[in-house]
Amino acid sequence: MATATETVAAPRRPRTAGWSRLPVWVRRGTLVVLLVAGWQAYVSFSEFGGNALLFASPVDTGQAFIDGWRDGSLARATWETLRILLIGVGIGIVFAAGFTLFATLSQIGDDILTLLTAILNPLPGVAVLPLALLWFGLSTNAILFAIANATIWPIAINLTTGFKTVNPTIVAAGRNIGLSGVRLATDVLAPAALPSAITGLKTAWAFGWRTVVAAELVFGVVGGEGGLGTYINNAKLYLFTPQMFAALLTIAVLGVAFELLFGVLERRTTVRWGMQRS
Amino acid sequence: MNRPALDLRAATRTASSPVLRVEQVQLGYWSQDGFTLAVADATFEVAPREKTIVIGPSGCGKSTLLKAVAGFIRPTRGRIQVAGRERLEPGPDRAVVFQEFDQLFPWRTVLDNVAYPLRVNGWKRRAAAERAREFVELTSLGAAADRYPHQLSGGMKQRVAIARALALDPAMLLMDEPFGSLDMLTRARLQQELNGIVERTSTTLLLVTHSMDEALTVGDKVVVLAGAPSSVREIADVREVGPPDSPGYAAARSHLRDLLGVRHEDDGGNGD
Repeated sequence: MATATETVAAPRRPRTAGWSRLPVWVRRGTLVVLLVAGWQAYVSFSEFGGNALLFASPVDTGQAFIDGWRDGSLARATWETLRILLIGVGIGIVFAAGFTLFATLSQIGDDILTLLTAILNPLPGVAVLPLALLWFGLSTNAILFAIANATIWPIAINLTTGFKTVNPTIVAAGRNIGLSGVRLATDVLAPAALPSAITGLKTAWAFGWRTVVAAELVFGVVGGEGGLGTYINNAKLYLFTPQMFAALLTIAVLGVAFELLFGVLERRTTVRWGMQRS
Repeated sequence: MNRPALDLRAATRTASSPVLRVEQVQLGYWSQDGFTLAVADATFEVAPREKTIVIGPSGCGKSTLLKAVAGFIRPTRGRIQVAGRERLEPGPDRAVVFQEFDQLFPWRTVLDNVAYPLRVNGWKRRAAAERAREFVELTSLGAAADRYPHQLSGGMKQRVAIARALALDPAMLLMDEPFGSLDMLTRARLQQELNGIVERTSTTLLLVTHSMDEALTVGDKVVVLAGAPSSVREIADVREVGPPDSPGYAAARSHLRDLLGVRHEDDGGNGD
């Protein structure tokens, strides 16, 4: 193997296209600009896009976005949605933790969780809303019920899998240094299962987010108070098309923001510890 | 040479009471096929500061035996006494270095992998960090102290595991084929280092291996397990076998090979 190294010159850096050599924020920024330009072109040159009642231009959307955040209406709606989402996901986490404990400690618990997840997880979050309305009336509780149902299963099944697949050698090492019971769970099992926990939380958050906005839309139709879904629905009633676009933009921005937040969490924990590839 | 190459007498009882006493121990494990007897009858002792190697072919139950001493499984018959007590729970007085590289906590740095077990056992944060630093240096890991385990090579990971175990100042250090997954060169170097460290820290060592060279270079005493289910075939004092290129070493190695029933083509030396 030494024979080749004497004659071969230093290898040339593999040739890459100019695009992939650019920093990621430049690439993404350029795409966003192109997207907005395409949007504007559609508004300027197409008949449908040019109809201000049906389609908002980037400038009008931006104006509605800024106005909405200035006068507090969008901020209130966003906060209302986030508040309900946080409470709903919180309830989901508590129940998921209970199910996980049950499933980890006993075979029957595991079987029950597997069965319930198989049945309830594929249901779209809003599918249970009519039932929830029947049981809880036209109240926030109905939405919370729908969100909790949408979040419990992905969290519970991921956590359970996470605990079950913890490397037995690490657990043995934990017991060997004198850990047992609760301390073994908090100091060894929990961090070892963290990658699965984060995956579950991400999925749950995405499911919950969809459910809450969809549920609010339904509520908006029947006339509740509320969040971004209601905001969109009201804007539709009065044909404030730019406001509808602004609310959708808000949802998109929040989605990106939370994605970044989870990314930071992962880079600081599981990626840093080599438990997950970046 | 007037001393026999390999002392074939059972190792004589030392005056001080043994750290470990394994008496007529029978061990097995449950699997889908039911109960499998791994060790039929094992009796031996380990004196303070003695380096004892349990050697046997793959599947002879030597790892099971080590796990029983560590407290992870209970013998179905017989007694295992550590420092006079029959201990059945795992504990830091019998610190274990496992064969698997991923025995370290991936979310802790090298230094913290060594310091954290100390804190669990009542050390104050600062004192634990200082002692951890000392053992990280002792195992030549000073430069890697702030790295995470996934950034280390296999040999470095095993060094961290050794540092972690020794820092706990255990009554005995238990090692389950700790270098079995390493390449030949790294393995030979770590065996050398282990010898030095165990000597300096006056550690009592119980090491399980299937490598004859590891047994002869690291050990004071070799317990030969063979058969299925296995039993102790011989307990040999190997302190005087000499360096690997000496005739005594060759004789001892050849004797071990016969005891273990190793065919010549299987005998891959230190790299087996």
